[in-house]
Amino acid sequence: MKAVVDPDLLASLEKFGVADGAACFNCGTCTAVCSLSSEAAAFPRKLVRYAQLGLREKIMQSPEPWLCYYCGDCSETCPRRANPGEVMMGLRRYLTSRYDWTGISRLFYTSKAFEVLSVLVVAALVGAGFYAFHGPVVTERVALNVLAPNTVVERLDLALLAVLSLLLLSNAYRLFQAVMGNPSPEQRPDSGGRQPSLLHGIPLRVYLQEAKELAFQFLTQSRFAACGTKSQRTQWYVHLLVMSGYSIVFLLVVVGLRWFQTDKLYPLWHPVRLLGYYATFAILYGTTYAILGRLRKSRAAYAHSHASDWTFLILLWLTAFTGIAVHAARLLAMPLATYLLYVIHLMIAVPMLLIEVPFAKWTHQLYRPLVLYLVKVKGNARQS
Amino acid sequence: MTSEKRNGETERVGVYICHCGGNISDHVDVEKVAAHAQRLPGVAVARTNMFMCSDPGQELIQQDIRSGRINRVVIASCAPSLHELTFRGAIKRAGLNPYLYEHANIREQVSWVHHGEPATRKAATLVAAAVAKAKVLEPLEPIRVEARRHATVIGGGVAGLRAALDLARRGIEVVLVEKSPFLGGMAAQLATLSSSGKNAGELIKALAQAVHAETRIGVCPGAEVIACEGSVGNFSLTLEQRAPERRPEWKHQPGDYVPFAGFVPALPDGVQQFTFETGAIVVATGFQPYSPAIGEYGFRRYPEVITLPQLIRSLAEDKARGSRLVIAGKPIRRVAMIHCVGSRQIPGIHEPGEGGTLNEYCSRVCCAAALQAAVAIRESYPETRVFEYYRDIRTYGRGQEELYEQASKKQVLFFRFEPEAPPRIEPGDGPHPLQVTVRDTLTFGEEVTAEVDLVVLAVGMEAGPVQALVEKLRLPVGADRFLQEVHPKLRPVEVATAGIFLAGTCQAPMTVGEACAAAQAAAAKTAALLAGGSVELDPFVAHVDPGRCDGSGACLEACPVKGAIAMLTVENQVEIWWRIERRQARVNPAQCTGCGICVAACPRKAINVNGWTLQQYEGMVDAILEG
Repeated sequence: MKAVVDPDLLASLEKFGVADGAACFNCGTCTAVCSLSSEAAAFPRKLVRYAQLGLREKIMQSPEPWLCYYCGDCSETCPRRANPGEVMMGLRRYLTSRYDWTGISRLFYTSKAFEVLSVLVVAALVGAGFYAFHGPVVTERVALNVLAPNTVVERLDLALLAVLSLLLLSNAYRLFQAVMGNPSPEQRPDSGGRQPSLLHGIPLRVYLQEAKELAFQFLTQSRFAACGTKSQRTQWYVHLLVMSGYSIVFLLVVVGLRWFQTDKLYPLWHPVRLLGYYATFAILYGTTYAILGRLRKSRAAYAHSHASDWTFLILLWLTAFTGIAVHAARLLAMPLATYLLYVIHLMIAVPMLLIEVPFAKWTHQLYRPLVLYLVKVKGNARQS
Repeated sequence: MTSEKRNGETERVGVYICHCGGNISDHVDVEKVAAHAQRLPGVAVARTNMFMCSDPGQELIQQDIRSGRINRVVIASCAPSLHELTFRGAIKRAGLNPYLYEHANIREQVSWVHHGEPATRKAATLVAAAVAKAKVLEPLEPIRVEARRHATVIGGGVAGLRAALDLARRGIEVVLVEKSPFLGGMAAQLATLSSSGKNAGELIKALAQAVHAETRIGVCPGAEVIACEGSVGNFSLTLEQRAPERRPEWKHQPGDYVPFAGFVPALPDGVQQFTFETGAIVVATGFQPYSPAIGEYGFRRYPEVITLPQLIRSLAEDKARGSRLVIAGKPIRRVAMIHCVGSRQIPGIHEPGEGGTLNEYCSRVCCAAALQAAVAIRESYPETRVFEYYRDIRTYGRGQEELYEQASKKQVLFFRFEPEAPPRIEPGDGPHPLQVTVRDTLTFGEEVTAEVDLVVLAVGMEAGPVQALVEKLRLPVGADRFLQEVHPKLRPVEVATAGIFLAGTCQAPMTVGEACAAAQAAAAKTAALLAGGSVELDPFVAHVDPGRCDGSGACLEACPVKGAIAMLTVENQVEIWWRIERRQARVNPAQCTGCGICVAACPRKAINVNGWTLQQYEGMVDAILEG
């Protein structure tokens, strides 16, 4: 495939947050200081260059944006202030929109109006749904499961899960196609001949061998801390906190709602209650930390905030906060306040999930471990 | 070995050995050398000093001369090219003939290359040889030649105009010879000049008008040098001047400035030849742009491939000034510029030009010129994109790196290629007529294709077609076919022939600013040479002993310099009643370069180079063999 220069791509990448890439003069300092860059996958210079030249297909096939955890060393040492870290971040947003076949992701990232409207519309639909279909309102005691029986909500949750999974997995399949279609470095076009795509021909055995890698990366994000600096390690802890909190609460809500949304209060030591406390605390702490960091621009990774970064953090923070508020109102035995807060909570949580999981920030939860896994599979296939 | 008495006076040699602040004395035992010299016959005194070239060092020598202690000087220090003139001046000021001085180089030839005892031994030997020569030195006087306060500048480009103006303003009459009917040369083909941002046309116009108005400058357009005789101070030049072929559209009057052609001086009628005398010649014949071979980067194969000078002119002549560049009615949305076309050619990779020549040098100006054009395009036509294909960006001059910076800021895209894999220009398969494919080292050697509307070749500079002039003035030509100075640092605008100077791009690729600086240097050198009305030359020229010369003519046959030796018929009065006529060689000291070939050729040993006679050589060789 011919790599064709498109000098106008960089301008359109600006909407995704790729700001200063044009300033790069290709010295490679960023790649030299990067502790995650390797010979097989050298970045960020390579991706900055692809962006500069507008090599759309090369970018599409590159796993590198997902191998970067934005410690910011590159941006801090760049002699041209080309902000390679932010270029990589912007490319992750761009790639997310390219993987997404619906086009929603692209709209979400490139139009602030769409971003706000999409959240408001989903929230309004949830609110309207409640208004139309809610159960009897019991005012003498808190009876959430009468207003919104957990068995019904659970079914709705599962339906939501199915939709989200379908969208996310179909997008992830496009990621898989793009990354595996990329020839290995030894089979660059300049070495002559047509390079075979790796899409086919790798035996299933290799995929299975590496499956544990997928799970391991998903659970630990160990690569995050591999940058080696102390501040990056702190960042990893915070990230783990948010990630674990989010995963727990996701599981509690989607799979375990019948134990989570109960009208009978659990004793303080009950595992479900403890898990709930842990999850909400973890999310609140982590998102507050990130919001403050972004406000203060405390580190390179927080210096440039895309509108979608704020949407994500605010929605997540509000989801956790309204969740706690529902719980508090219930503890205080205030039925109407509990119901109202419950509706508000869902009006925030549902748009957050529906938009972020398949189209925006939450996609990285799957994309990152998946890319690491695919890179490993490719490496193995090349060896054997 | 030699007579103890010459000119009725005993030779008393003073030997002065320099430590050079340790440069010499760290490896040579200078005291031992002094002690050795002291014992040599004819040596009156041998001294050492930390720095002989310093004032106290010179004073040491001068005191010995003034007190009558010595009448010959030997200085053992660094290479004579550094301080020979310093010491000659010191000796002269002390009242001794400055040519009664011999120099021994014990730094470059000894302490920097030998160590320990052998170094000391060699230094002592070189000093002994210098002493032996010093004892048989004759006092010499510099050759004084009458010089006309008149100079000729060949070439009416920016360097020639600048040199002519500088010379005239120093009171020297100038003839400015220009081959074409225009003044301004190649600089008139440029638009904005780098770093100053000045317009080249404006500059040339101002300079040419000043030259035109200067009464001391006679401008000869349409003229070529057809003969050159004589030597420094008294050259005789013959010019042939022709009226230009006037085309029907020729409407320009003298005093007009024609954009991209130059300033129109008063033009001659018909053809005429004339000869005049001139004291010095400034050669400012300029360069010619490299002309790409047919098919080189698609040149002359695709109409969309042009050279940088063509682009510069098109930019200046685009009157529409839309948001996108338009050339010949075609909108140009994307321009590819290719650097190093006809420069930095590599044997085995690049095709040699006519005559098997390769331009292996860097033309120095094209990087800045290409970047400047790129910046100009991006500033004037925001919808026209520029891609630069380079091997190395060499923005070496003041203000040039900023051009790269600006180009980068204005999103000019850069691609870097290896000389063996230059960009390929092929017909495009999309909306653009051409495509440029390159193995881009900035993209890790991946092949990258760009669709473009225009390809611009940043052509280099080649030596001008001045073969005829080179032969007539006997100018030295370097391997790069440019005219060559004596030494790039010590004598940067001079050639070996006294009275001939180089100015501007006839010597090497230069920017307009550099060409003007070179022209001013040449003008200053010329003015200094001619200012006194006479020229002083080193006396180290051949000299014929009339008693020995039998007129064989062997010297004339061997002499490489035309006019340096002549055979004359002289009358010899043998007795009052007997006069015979015979042929004898005579040296023209103003033209002799003192090479000594005639000395070797003479069967009668009748010719010698002053200051380097056979007798002096013999003395040195004997001293070395004795040591």
